[in-house]
This record gives sequence, structure tokens and C-alpha cells, in this order.
Amino acid sequence: MKKVLAIGWVNIVRFMRERANLFFVFAFPLLLILLLGAMYGGGFDTKVGVLVEGPGGPLADRLVAAVEDLDETTVVAYDSEPSLIDAVQRGRADGGLVIPSGYDAALVEGGRAEVTFIGRPADQTAQLLQVSVSEVLAAELAPVRAARFAEVETGDSFDALLARARVVVPQSERVSVSYREAGEPIFEGIEELGAFDLGASQQLVLFMFLTSLAGSAALIQSRRLGVTRRMLSTPSSTLVIVGGEATGRFAVAIIQGVYIMVGTLLIFGVNWGSPLGAIAVLIMFSLVGAGAAMLMGALFHNDQQAGGLGVLIALGLGALGGSMVPIEIFPDNIQTVAKFTPHSWAIDAFAELVRRDGSIVDILPQLGVLAAFAAVMLLLATWRLQRVLTR
Amino acid sequence: MSDNNLVLEASGLHKSFKDLHAVKGVSFHIATGETYGLLGPNGAGKTTTISMVTGLLERDGGEVVVDGREISTTSTEAKRAIGYVPQDIAIYPDLTARENLSFFGRLYGMSAKPLRGRVDEVLDIIGLSDRADDRSEEFSGGMKRRLNIGIGLLHGPRLLMLDEPTVGVDPQSRNAILESVERLSVEGMAVLYTTHYMEEAERLCDRVGIIDEGEIKAEGTRAELVSMVGQRDKVRLSATGHLDAAVEAVRAIPGVHDASTREDGIDLLVDGADRALPSILQAVAAAETSVSSVAVDEPNLEAVFLHLTGKALRD
Ligand SMILES: Nc1ncnc2c1ncn2[C@@H]1O[C@H](COP(=O)(O)OP(=O)(O)O)[C@@H](O)[C@H]1O
Ligand SMILES: [Mg+2]
Repeated sequence: MKKVLAIGWVNIVRFMRERANLFFVFAFPLLLILLLGAMYGGGFDTKVGVLVEGPGGPLADRLVAAVEDLDETTVVAYDSEPSLIDAVQRGRADGGLVIPSGYDAALVEGGRAEVTFIGRPADQTAQLLQVSVSEVLAAELAPVRAARFAEVETGDSFDALLARARVVVPQSERVSVSYREAGEPIFEGIEELGAFDLGASQQLVLFMFLTSLAGSAALIQSRRLGVTRRMLSTPSSTLVIVGGEATGRFAVAIIQGVYIMVGTLLIFGVNWGSPLGAIAVLIMFSLVGAGAAMLMGALFHNDQQAGGLGVLIALGLGALGGSMVPIEIFPDNIQTVAKFTPHSWAIDAFAELVRRDGSIVDILPQLGVLAAFAAVMLLLATWRLQRVLTR
Repeated sequence: MSDNNLVLEASGLHKSFKDLHAVKGVSFHIATGETYGLLGPNGAGKTTTISMVTGLLERDGGEVVVDGREISTTSTEAKRAIGYVPQDIAIYPDLTARENLSFFGRLYGMSAKPLRGRVDEVLDIIGLSDRADDRSEEFSGGMKRRLNIGIGLLHGPRLLMLDEPTVGVDPQSRNAILESVERLSVEGMAVLYTTHYMEEAERLCDRVGIIDEGEIKAEGTRAELVSMVGQRDKVRLSATGHLDAAVEAVRAIPGVHDASTREDGIDLLVDGADRALPSILQAVAAAETSVSSVAVDEPNLEAVFLHLTGKALRD
């Protein structure tokens, strides 16, 4: 064990002496942190651009305020239609609302007013926003209609009636639409919309495996220097040598993984589920990465070759394992094949932690499978390295 | 097993690479404190042999016992007795001399404290104390070679194996290397030394195995090898006077095989020049010839190699 640590330590020392590696471990993941934070972090409101044409009025102001009151929604005022359309086109606003100059008059005196909603085509956020805005508008109109009806019947002042109707009408309207599920969800869990947090784990798994495979270069370089063979001339078995080199790779992967996870959590509030469970998945997946790096390092003689192929393998396994698109959209037989990638198990474990609020106990099966992946690859690497060193 | 004075017994070693039979039944043994040389040209099978002896290469046949324990590619504990210095420098270029030594010291199972002291000792032996904390990639070829050797000495092995340790070094480093091997041998370490330099084998080795094309062609002390192939000493006399008469006279002396005149002296081929020389000088003087100088050329391992294989050690 001391020898394993001695080899692992030298591996890390040598890794840290290479300045490019420091960039790779500490600066590069910052990009990933920013990316994940922007995509999956909380705290980003939907922006609605609002244009009130003409002098406006109290009813128009109420409508704007009601839209502002929607959850996680911010209203930004625009003063011309072209500038509002431009903002929507460029994505500075998720949707635009144009309240025409006759809005107040039409509601008070009866007449037509057309409120326009502007959204980008096929933009889900805009579509959801439009539904919300329509509901807000309907809620605004109901007391107005009631007050106008009462005005005609009683001849009282419209303003006073409207004030009363605003108190009464929301209490009396108790009809709501409830929602019941039927069949299997298309994307599991998407309705709880932890689904976005799930995306962060997919990217993390993809990135960690990619950098781990790039680490196979370390073993290949040691071999080419003749140092690995020389280690075998000391009283150290091949298993100890592979274990030591893997320890170095493992340390780099786990540092990177924790760094990204903590960074996205602290800065952007990305949800990784139970901390204990998340760390356990990171540890197991880092072991898998280290095992894969050793296997690559034992199979290839040229670190450039291994590096290039490593990227292809990492991307391929990542895609198959659900790192790029959710595994649920694959046909059944491909989903079965995907079970042979460590990625799918790690992503599944994170899904359990994040979406179903699981604890470390709930992901023991996934952790076990990942441990088995790591063990098998380390043993294969040992067997292979013994052969290439001694024949 | 047999003689427990033996540190190494290798018998019947065989190795083929595809259809190339690189080592064909090599056997030798080394006793405590003995330095054994494998002398042969490039491609003779020296590295292949030493790799099998250190348990770094699977063998097709034969047996290796070091310090009473069988060595194979999967043995670990038995390798404790061995210090191996590979032909190609095997160090981490981005680590310092001290870091390289400490790292391998740990792999030899040494614990931190004694290791620190031992690293300083070894740095002293290989003459790198003043460069101990420089990265080895900044070293000259000779310094790298010395560090390469130092790693093999760390744990004070019973048997030190050096595979052509002086290839490509400056004369000064070479001399330093040879001197430290001599000192280690005096201290009782058994040494297996491979080389294609005849002078190194003659200087360092108690016994030499002459290896070519995967076979040990002859083995013994330098003197044994020389006499085994019946090589004779060349004696050159610079002389003036009755040279023809002198040649006639020395031909009758026992041990003298041939004598001939040249412009300024006489050439002789003699068995045991040291014994025959007094009689030769007497006979020459009696023939009224005066000798101004005598040069004796003893045959060397180069000549032995030439005799055994019909080719030169170096091409
Ligand atoms: N790994 C190998 N694969 C194929 N041939 C080899 C290998 N190692 C050595 N040889 C061949 O075996 C012969 C002996 O090589 P080697 O033991 O290195 O000789 P030496 O050390 O005496 O120069 C050479 O012909 C060499 O080319
Ligand atoms: Mg060689």
C-alpha cells in the first residue's frame, strides 16, 4: 500500500509540474462551471418586454403589475415596438407584450382592444409565457365585465362597482382545471423540472471521463521512459504499479469533480442532491475513469494515438450512456446496450439523488456497478501491462 | 540448494523472439563478492539474458536462482536481492536526482528515515551531491548514467546487475563509474556486468563469459581464456648487431615458437614471455647483438574473441 501511494504521489507531483495541466485542472473546469451555472443554475428570471402605447391608464398599469407578479418573471419596459421586437429577436427578452393605447378606454366604455404577445417561433419559454399572460389578462377582465354589467343594471358609478367586483369576483370563481397523468412520461421526471439539474450531472460525467482518458498519456509516458519496467524490477508487483498509477489519475479526477460540483453549487445553486450521495458517485466514477485510463495506457504504445482515440471513446460512450441526450429517448434495445456504459449508471445515480431526493442508500446498486466497472478495468489493465512488460 | 556461496545461478536460459533464437542455453553463476562479465558485441544476447535473470522477461526455458530464491516475472520478494541498472536510462526527467532516488527507494521497500540518509550516501557515491536538487533533464549524458546506476545501488543489493552502464559517456564519467563498481565489489557485492568493451571486462571482472549469437562461447578468468585459445605473447626487441645469428639462437629456446628479423630488431612469438625472456636476452647478447628496448604484447580478450568467433568485438 505504501508503494501504491508512493507511485500515486509521484504521478501527481509530475502532473502538477506541467503548467498546462494546471490550466486543465483548475482553469478549464471554470468554463464548465460557468456553462453549467448558466444552463442549469437557478435565479434567472423570465424577462417580459412590455410596451404601453399612448398615455396608458390605471388598467394598463394593473395589467403590467399583474404580469410582474408572476413567479420568476421580470418586466422590462420598452418605448417603441421596433425596440421591443428587436429585444425579443435577440433573446434579451423571452417575450414581448404590447398594450394598445385604447386599452383603458375599451375596458371602461366597452369596445375592442388588441393586446399583442410577441415570441420567438418554437420557443417553449415564450409559449409558456403566453399562456401565463393570457391567464393574467382573463383574471383582469372578469371583474371589469362584472362591474360593467352592474353599471347597466344599477346605474351606479363604474369605478365604485369595479372596486367591489375586484373583491367579490375572485372569491366567487372557484372553477379550476386539475391535471391527471396518463401513461408513462415521455421524459421521466420532466414535469418536476429537476430535469434541468439532471443535465448538469450528464455534462459532469462526460467531462470527467474525457479528462480521465486523456490521463492515459501519463502511463504511456512512464512506459516509454522505461520507468514502469524498472519499477517491475523492484519488489513490486504489476498490480501495485497499476494501482499506484491509477491512484494518481483518481486523485486528479476527484479533485476536478468536486471542484466543479462545489463551484456550480455555491455560485449558481445547481442542485446535486444529497452531498454524501453525490460525493460517493464522484468517487466511484473517478475510479472508473482511472481504471479506463490504465486500460488505455496498457493497450497503447503512443500517447498521441491513445489521446485521440480516448476523445472518440469518451464521446461515444458519453453519447450512448446518456450524457448528450436523455437515455429515455433511445429505443429499448439501445437502452439495454447503454447499460454497459459506466456513464448511464452514474447519471442514473444522480437522477435518483436529484429528482427523487434519494440518499446514498438508494444509489447503492449504482455505486456497486460502478465499483465493478473500475475493478474489472484495473484488473484487465494489470494483466495487459504484465504481458507487454515481460514479453 | 548447492553452494550457498553462490548469489546467482542461471542455467539453460532460452529465449526466442518469433523465429529469432536470441538466447540459446546460457548458463553461468556468480559468487559473493565476484564480478562476472558478459562480453559480447551488439545483438549478442546480453540484454536478453540479463532481463531474464532480473525477472523482467519471460523465458522459454531454464532456471534462475538469486540468493537461494527462484526468480520469475511474477516474483516480488525474491527481487529484493537484486539491483538492476537497465541499458537504457530509466529515470523521470522532470524529477530531481534526489526525488528519483527517493521514489525508487520507496519501491525497494525502504522506510522514509533510513532512506533519506541512504539517498545522500548514494548521491555521494555517484558524485551528484551538488546537483541533487536539479531536475535530471538538465543533466549531461554522463550524469544521467550515474543517476541511472545510483538507483540500482540504493537498497544495498546482494547482486548488482549493470547492463552496458558506460555506453555513450565521457571518459571522466566512465572512469568514475568503473571505480565505483570496483569499490562495490571490494565491499562484497556480487556484480553482473555486461559490456562490449574489452578493456572494461579485463579491468573489472574476476570471470568473463564471452557471448555471441546467444551462446556463451567460453568462460573463465582472463588468463584462463587467453591460454584456452592458445594465444601467445608477442615480444618485440629493438636491437642492432648480428640479427640473423640472434634469431637462430633464440629459436632453440623452449617456449619460443617463431622468430624473425625486421629492419631495426627482432619479433618473436612466445608462450609465457615472462619465463622465457631472460634466456632470450642472454642468447641475443651471446650472438653479439645489443638490445635497446623490449616490448611484450600479451594477448587480450579482443584476440580471444576474434579467435573464437572469427570476428571483431566492435565493427
Ligand atoms: N523484444 C524483442 N523483439 C524482437 N527481437 C529482439 C527483442 N529484444 C532483442 N531482440 C533481438 O535479440 C537479439 C539479442 O538482443 P540483445 O539481447 O538486446 O543483445 P545485446 O544486449 O547483446 O546487444 C538481437 O538480435 C535483437 O535484435
Ligand atoms: Mg544490450
